[in-house]
Amino acid sequence: MTAVTAIRREATAPALKQELDGILHLLTCGSVDDGKSTLIGRLLYDASDLSDDQRALIDKSTTASGQPDYSLLLDGLVAEREQGITIDIAWRYFDTDKRRFVVIDSPGHEQYTRNMASGASHADVAIMLVDARHGVKRQTRRHAAILDIVGVRRVILAVNKMDLVDWSQEKFRAIEADFRKLTLRFGFRDAIAVPVSAVTGDNIAHQSEHMPWYSGPHLLEYLEKTQARDVAPRGPFRLPVQTVLRDGVDFRGLAGTVASGYVSVGDRVTDVLSGQSAHVLRIATMDHDLEIARQGQAVAIQLDTDIDVARGAVISAADSALPIVAGQIEARIIWLWETPFDNANGYLLRTGTDLAPIADITVSSLLDLESLAVQPATTVEVNDIANASITLGRPIAVDTFADNQPTGVFLIVDALTGASVAGGVITAATAGEASNEGAFHLTRELLTRGLCRDLGESDEDRREFQRRANEAALLLQSAGVQVKIDI
Amino acid sequence: MSAQFSHLDLLEAEAIHIFREAAAQFRKPVLMYSIGKDSTVLLHLARKAFWPQKLPFPLLHIDTKWKFRDMITFRDKTVRDFNLDLIVHTNEDGLKRGVNPYDHSPSVYTDVMKTQPLKQALDKYGFDAAFGGARRDEESSRAKERVFSFRSPGHRWDPRRQRPEMWNLLNGRLGPGETVRVFPMSNWTERDVWRYIARENLDVVPLYFAAERPTIVRNGQLLVIDDDRLPLQPDEVPELRSVRFRTLGCWPLTAAVASTANDLESVVTETLGARTSERQGRLIDHDQTGAMERKKQEGYF
Repeated sequence: MTAVTAIRREATAPALKQELDGILHLLTCGSVDDGKSTLIGRLLYDASDLSDDQRALIDKSTTASGQPDYSLLLDGLVAEREQGITIDIAWRYFDTDKRRFVVIDSPGHEQYTRNMASGASHADVAIMLVDARHGVKRQTRRHAAILDIVGVRRVILAVNKMDLVDWSQEKFRAIEADFRKLTLRFGFRDAIAVPVSAVTGDNIAHQSEHMPWYSGPHLLEYLEKTQARDVAPRGPFRLPVQTVLRDGVDFRGLAGTVASGYVSVGDRVTDVLSGQSAHVLRIATMDHDLEIARQGQAVAIQLDTDIDVARGAVISAADSALPIVAGQIEARIIWLWETPFDNANGYLLRTGTDLAPIADITVSSLLDLESLAVQPATTVEVNDIANASITLGRPIAVDTFADNQPTGVFLIVDALTGASVAGGVITAATAGEASNEGAFHLTRELLTRGLCRDLGESDEDRREFQRRANEAALLLQSAGVQVKIDI
Repeated sequence: MSAQFSHLDLLEAEAIHIFREAAAQFRKPVLMYSIGKDSTVLLHLARKAFWPQKLPFPLLHIDTKWKFRDMITFRDKTVRDFNLDLIVHTNEDGLKRGVNPYDHSPSVYTDVMKTQPLKQALDKYGFDAAFGGARRDEESSRAKERVFSFRSPGHRWDPRRQRPEMWNLLNGRLGPGETVRVFPMSNWTERDVWRYIARENLDVVPLYFAAERPTIVRNGQLLVIDDDRLPLQPDEVPELRSVRFRTLGCWPLTAAVASTANDLESVVTETLGARTSERQGRLIDHDQTGAMERKKQEGYF
């Protein structure tokens, strides 16, 4: 194999209307010292459709050690360049002949756990980077735990700087063994270790000549073959309704993106929140009608009977496992915001398309990411991962994260500032109303009498009704009144 | 195993999802329409998101009065063809003060004729959300941009206080005085835009196709002379050259490239093989290091 198998455009005449075979979202995590930005920069430089001006930028650059500075392709913000660290997530896009790659570059430092977690939540595959001289560190363990929590199922351990340990097989095998032990604790579907040198390009986009003892795939080879999260719709059919579209005549389409599974024309579907069912009459898009809508497709579904479904509903297959209509959930949450949790504050829970006021959050424990032990706790602050029990002001349709990832996730939203203060995955959900006895029932009648008397039955008015109900509940809660929305 | 959907299918579905989420969550959105190829795709995606309804928000064009005449013609035809509501806004004060793209530095001109009027228009009509066609691959500070990008009062962007975005959950709850810029095409690349234009057979401004146009060379850049307002040096005699544009802006600030690609197929082929990033042709972005990051903090799109 030649030294650099860069995919140059002149060698592969691009076809008009060329559509790539899906998208692979690739998270990179590790600390600055491990050479993360250099590794991805190198991958871009060697294997992608990088433009000439970007290539020239790298060719002109030098690091202290006299090598081109591949990391220039990654670190974005001026402040970050000055400090030489990656603070926020940066997104990079490149194509090989096969695939679109989205590189999500995330910070490694402990104080940026939240950024890593949010970056990881978008990833199909994660590259964890370690320095061959130091091996698996506490940080690697922390990163693996975060990946597991947010649902990344494929990980690659890139053992970098192999050039600095004389391409030693022994060193690599020892690190690989540590990595195996580590991954056994998590739910990874696929975990491999690859010995690389980002600076020299060994095993990045071409097989290393320095490490003939390694017979596994090089990094790019693995990335081009591995499955993206998007392929093969798994799980039960779920369509969280975003909005209702009308043509002014007889079309009433429940618009949304299929979160999981698929649905065909004629299938019987249910809205668990209202308990009503109907058959799919039409799956419409602007281009043409579909016979089947699969995971990832944005469609508008018309039902054969006009059941009363609005934004926030989750349309599901009637004949298989239904979502849970939950008034209370158990969850693992990652606190994302500088302001710590304060139960006196008003919070809302956002799922795919629903937004419900939170009546109570009770934190039970914090997860120590390095020992993976649980410490009892009652509060949570930035970068913490906690187990918590959340009581909702009204039931919402959800699944557990283990059963169905796309409908098992949520954000906690600060009612006043609007900030997304935490992200969470549902570990258990209790069907039915939460048992907060003595709670004040905020009913439709109460709202219609005054606060919402100007609202009618249009979709817009119903959305506004919901919004006012949420806000009224938040106000009452902040005055110390337990509220249950019953509309 | 091959993917079920091509990357364009996935990008289209994601953009539709974002449009529908934003329209449901914000009180009064507007679509920033700048007439170029990205706006063309953005508008097409919006129409798909709400079909068979009429677009539930208007278009806003910030007119600096220095757009190519072909752009304005195209804009007006698009509005007619798709039965859209268009708001055109110009910074009349800047116009009166004679701020123009040749006497003033690109950064002053952009601030007065683009950033200021954008903020004026958003305030005047009370829009709480503005859709834009910005892509993360355009420039390094955009690479850190969110899909829902919140702006503090005064429309300022604070890269340090961006809300984390997790999974495909979009939180549109506004804090006091906040507005939001929404970027449905965050994950698209320039090549995707062209591939999609070809796939969907979309009309674009003719300036994207090569034709003989009167040009001068200034600072090593090819400028197409669209009218007689730009003062020329004695040695700057407009010459007919076959050129096209990769990106469209104000004509004295947008460099053309020599090309003979005069139909969609050849433009796409040329772009797929392009070896320079597109904003090379935008003179404002080279003004100084971190130029885009600074402009964004001041409220530029």
